[in-house]
Amino acid sequence: MTRPKQLPNELLSDLAVSTATKLQCFWHLGKYFKQSAAALEKQVAREARFYGALIRLQQNWKVKRHRLVAAASGNAGFFIDLFYNTLYDTSVSLRPSSMSTIPIEHDAAGMLAVNVPPNSCRSLRFEFLGSHSANNVRRSGETNMHAFSEDSSTETNKEHANDDECVRKTHSLLREVHRAIFDEQVFELVSREACNSSLSVNLTGIQENYLRLSINQGASVSISLLLSSQDNKTDIVSGTNSSETETIPSELSDWSKFREGKDNVKKLGFPNRISFEIYLQQLFHEYVFVRAKDKTSSSFRSLISGQQSKDNLNILDHFCMSLAHSIFSNKVLSELESLVCRTPYVQLISHPTWHSRTSSWTLSMKVPQSILHVGSQILSSGISNVKNVRSQFWSKVVVIDESISVEGVGDLNVVGLFNGKPESICPINRYECDLADLPIILLQQVASQVIQWLHEEALTVGIKVTRDFLSLAFELDHGEIASLVAHVDPEDTRGCISWWLMMDDGITENHKLHPDLSIGESESRKFLGHLSLDVLYSTLLDFVNLCSC
Amino acid sequence: MDPQSQTTSLQRLQNVEKRIVRVLELAGGVMDEMASQSGPRKEIANNHCSEFMQLIKDIQFALREEIKSACEYRPFEKCDYVPRISNEICYKKLEYVIAQLDEMKQTMEGYRNAA
Repeated sequence: MTRPKQLPNELLSDLAVSTATKLQCFWHLGKYFKQSAAALEKQVAREARFYGALIRLQQNWKVKRHRLVAAASGNAGFFIDLFYNTLYDTSVSLRPSSMSTIPIEHDAAGMLAVNVPPNSCRSLRFEFLGSHSANNVRRSGETNMHAFSEDSSTETNKEHANDDECVRKTHSLLREVHRAIFDEQVFELVSREACNSSLSVNLTGIQENYLRLSINQGASVSISLLLSSQDNKTDIVSGTNSSETETIPSELSDWSKFREGKDNVKKLGFPNRISFEIYLQQLFHEYVFVRAKDKTSSSFRSLISGQQSKDNLNILDHFCMSLAHSIFSNKVLSELESLVCRTPYVQLISHPTWHSRTSSWTLSMKVPQSILHVGSQILSSGISNVKNVRSQFWSKVVVIDESISVEGVGDLNVVGLFNGKPESICPINRYECDLADLPIILLQQVASQVIQWLHEEALTVGIKVTRDFLSLAFELDHGEIASLVAHVDPEDTRGCISWWLMMDDGITENHKLHPDLSIGESESRKFLGHLSLDVLYSTLLDFVNLCSC
Repeated sequence: MDPQSQTTSLQRLQNVEKRIVRVLELAGGVMDEMASQSGPRKEIANNHCSEFMQLIKDIQFALREEIKSACEYRPFEKCDYVPRISNEICYKKLEYVIAQLDEMKQTMEGYRNAA
């Protein structure tokens, strides 16, 4: 049986129904498309924020992607790779730390978020044992480590500001982690070098993140990796016991303790620990990461390995020698300062050497202007032998590693003595000495420079003088000899160089004048005191009247 | 990347996404028109459809350009991690020097106050 033929009105109503249904479908489709458009717009905006932040981070950091992880989980699989391998030595390659890959995640609002576990960043710390309280106050302003996530806000302006904030915070977090990775690498390299036997590095203690070394000058230092949460407190290390426990952080309480510690540091001659911490990082950074390609260049090797060119460049050796040098040169400097304090006509000038194991200073003595003025007046009154008298004398002290060398103008020239002519060239002698002898040697040099100057001035003025090491002898009438003798005493608190006047009338038996000052004052010797250059010059001029010339 | 009409690659791709959203909206608009009781208005439906096609062409063009230029991008050619650490070390040096200068200033002021 076939279906009966439909009547026209039935056809029309069928048509009307199907048209209405189609219209409904279109309407639903329209709604569907519009809703999809709205949802897609929101999705696009969310992803734009995420990828915008990611692009900004990518300008500074390496962003990589695990494609398999991306397929598996809902996450896009991005991560930041902070590892940089050194090309220093293929056998010395560094393992990537667990921190070097940081996953990038979405937070609640769909924005980029980076999570780093709170106590995972360590920083390198260098310390002198025995002077903790002074130098252990950590700098303020270290960034705090915690997971950063951006708080969702509705307004677009606020969103932009928050986006910037978020990217900036993420960036500083990554900086912190990157620096922590570098510090770990430095510590690893230091440990490797310390464990190999070497000349000036003695490893006296080792623990998980802690190394203790003893340096030449009797100092003991520690290099450790500390968590940032420990930085705000001081660490007390029991430096004497070899079976010590882990370092125990404790609080810095007393300001007076701080000051006392600081004074101790000055007495011990230790340099600032922060500067050496930075130097350690810089050395390793420069010679392991930056100059990895230049590792065969000779200047680079000679800086690290000193005189001998070894095959393995021991950076830690160089560092410890620089440290020992610094401590030693502080001691030298304090000696020089105490000398110069008590000798008013000598100035101390330090010279930067731009080498971490060399220091140099100059003790300079300048003739004051008043004397030069007087001298020129005398000269202009018609004396024939016009000479250029030296008006500046210097002694140079150079410390290389831990050896001192002194050189200067004004040392005794034996040949010149016999000739009696001052214009014979005084050679610049240079000799080595050690710290205990340094004051005496310098003072003798300065005193002989003063004598030299007086000698030259005397000859300019026309007096007959002869010169000995530390004395100047004037020939008076009737064959008498008056001597001005310098006496140096580094322990004298009123002044290091003092002057005596000795008379020898030519009749008594000892023609040679011994400055035997233990006898004290007598008829033939008189203590003049600590004279300035002006007074010495006027004493000289007084002799003009007494001398027959 | 050379600046094509002064936008970055990311911005161009974002524009593509915006066009896709617009395309969807237009489709919705056409459907609405078709569903209206009084029948579709021809001009509006035509406008929507021509804009739709134009946007599809633009999308295709932009994507093709981006895919071509994506081959030129070589990542990590100049990695700046090493100079970055140099920078951090310099920053620490500066902090230290500033602290020393502050101490010197305090010493000077101490002398000035005492004098």
